[in-house]
Amino acid sequence: MKLLRWTGVVLLLATGILDFYYGNSFAGFYENLWYVMGGIYIFAAIVIAANIEPHFSQLTVFAYTLFLWSVWATVALETGTGLDAVAYADKAIEAILAVNMVLLFRNSRAGLIV
Amino acid sequence: MTPSGFGKLSSAKLLTAAALIAVFSGAVVGLSVGYVVHYSAPVTRTFYLFDGTVPFNETMFYGHPHDTFVPDTITVNKGDHVLIHYVNIEDKGEAHTYTMDPPYTFDATIYGNATQQGIVSTVTTKDRIILAQGQNATITFTASWAGVFRYYCDFHQPTMTGYLVVIG
Repeated sequence: MKLLRWTGVVLLLATGILDFYYGNSFAGFYENLWYVMGGIYIFAAIVIAANIEPHFSQLTVFAYTLFLWSVWATVALETGTGLDAVAYADKAIEAILAVNMVLLFRNSRAGLIV
Repeated sequence: MTPSGFGKLSSAKLLTAAALIAVFSGAVVGLSVGYVVHYSAPVTRTFYLFDGTVPFNETMFYGHPHDTFVPDTITVNKGDHVLIHYVNIEDKGEAHTYTMDPPYTFDATIYGNATQQGIVSTVTTKDRIILAQGQNATITFTASWAGVFRYYCDFHQPTMTGYLVVIG
């Protein structure tokens, strides 16, 4: 089950780095928000890696991922922004991350060693 | 010890509750952002830029040149692609530069005049080009930084100065 946790850490880091890249490379629409989102992902990666309050942190990361997905989808539908290859890649990783967090949360609550 | 609060709920219930709250609040935030922010998608904006003169005797005003840019202000939105057709329309053998303040650089193709036909040179990521009398250039760049930035002719300062206004 450790594999699930470290997969989550890698996915969180990947999303965080991708968000930083997006904020740095894409000019024109609130790029600073992408830095904030990336920073939170990297912080979350550290928390998950350290296994601090695992039930709470895993559930929070799961909710945060879905929250950002929902924000992105609605803003994209309304304004047509964020519809490019980097954003798609970012959201694809986030989708995998959400599934990963579900599995991790269920396993950790079931008492399996994570 | 019996679990309380958070611990009483099953994993499935907690995940479902978290998912519903996250998706709903995300949709509210997303719709609000989309409603409040009036976003205009980047477009290519084309301008024609010329050298001009103000009709005064250059020896009368502290030796300042009478050359200017026409237009002296170019306004775009951040993220726009800018295409400038710059023409040196001097009636005498006078050269002008197109120089931009950092951090801006541009790509340019310089075309010849009556005596030198065709493409004279092509430059990339430069901050300065020189146009001889009758030459013209196409200058392209992306307005990636918001603010007010000078474009000017090195040879005719301070009068031959324009401002790129990038609305962020």
